[in-house]
Amino acid sequence: MKTTNIYINGMACISPQESLDKSQFLEVAIEHTGNQLSCIEPKYKDFIPPMQARRMSRILKMCNVAAQISLKDAGVEKPDAIEIATGLGCMADSEKFLKSIIDNGEEMLTPTAFIQSTHNTIGGQLALALGVNNQNFTFSHNDLSFEHALLDSLMLIRENEARNVLLGGADEITENTHIIKEKLGLLKMNAGSNFDILTDETSGTIEGEGASFFVLSPDKANSCYGKLTDLSFGYKPTDMADLEKGIIKLLSKHNLKIEDLSLVISGYNGDQQNDEIFKTLGARLFKSTPQAYYKHLCGDYMTSSAFSLWLAARIMKEQKIPKIINLNEIGQGPINHIFIHNQASNNNHSFILLSKC
Amino acid sequence: MNELIDKLKGEIIEQLNLEDIEPEDIDAADPLFGDGLGLDSIDALELIVLLEKEYGLKIDDPKKGKEIFHSINTLAEYIQKNQ
Repeated sequence: MKTTNIYINGMACISPQESLDKSQFLEVAIEHTGNQLSCIEPKYKDFIPPMQARRMSRILKMCNVAAQISLKDAGVEKPDAIEIATGLGCMADSEKFLKSIIDNGEEMLTPTAFIQSTHNTIGGQLALALGVNNQNFTFSHNDLSFEHALLDSLMLIRENEARNVLLGGADEITENTHIIKEKLGLLKMNAGSNFDILTDETSGTIEGEGASFFVLSPDKANSCYGKLTDLSFGYKPTDMADLEKGIIKLLSKHNLKIEDLSLVISGYNGDQQNDEIFKTLGARLFKSTPQAYYKHLCGDYMTSSAFSLWLAARIMKEQKIPKIINLNEIGQGPINHIFIHNQASNNNHSFILLSKC
Repeated sequence: MNELIDKLKGEIIEQLNLEDIEPEDIDAADPLFGDGLGLDSIDALELIVLLEKEYGLKIDDPKKGKEIFHSINTLAEYIQKNQ
């Protein structure tokens, strides 16, 4: 791929925090109790006409609003492409449709839930709302869904196929998937405050949801939040040294060393086994680097890495690290490079390097 | 008849998720599609299912659909005649 600078010119995030509020940046973090962090939703009527909103499930409304705000933020009316990441798609409508199949003995099924239940409904609805007839892709690759949508966006821009790409990552909590996750032992059963996930020594995580949207472009706008310097993946590292070697190699591609990183954001989710990798890296490779975590704010879901990119971009623009995400006490200097590391079960690792505009 | 009309208004609002619309906002003589309530083809499918599920009525001749679903009044008349 060609080396083209790619900027985040606009973004918006709906999450279990007041992330749409531009007047403050996680100064007042919202505390949730239990293993489920639901989004703080905007007044949809302010953004979507009622006759359109009536057929939209929560995830569709969240995406519509986040997309609108991010485009406005970037000063873009119509993007050249839409790239959506979602682990589970429009699950609420899928559940509704499946339930109606059972309840009605496979007869008299209503069309709306069926039509809206597919993974690519989000991208389709956005295309209709924005009048975009160009590339419209949806990536559903479990915990790497967002990174793959991001990769495709970067490739589109580098290959000069698009100048403004609307990229989004979204997932929603639904009653049945929550029960299934509990039964699979993926969630903490006696979770207290979301702020205590790192001190809670039980297994499992806390479930979250959200919709984070970005407008990416090779043209730097006045609204620019940060430059996407690199995105890379790691698959089943043989050991910690192998993982560290990969990170060092990625940084060296950009003439950077560990000491050049202003902040490392890691995907701690409160599960002891999952977090062991982050703890070890934090104590070795990043021992002298300011470190942060974020899933206590948004919960864990397949596209939560989109929240981490929103968080990093906002930190970069504001040159300020919110206290609520600090993992260590290492003093903060000018913020030039933020490294985001996410992983699931030590199988799939993703690394995003965001630099100052 | 009036009772059936009121019941239909409530069912249509619920089934089609017509946010911000109350039964008294709907004029039973107004067209359901186009200028009136502004329903579309997906709503038509929802109404066909509603008719079958709630009133046990199937529309055998699709050509009559336009006439039956013209307004709440025409729909109520069809139900009353055929139930």
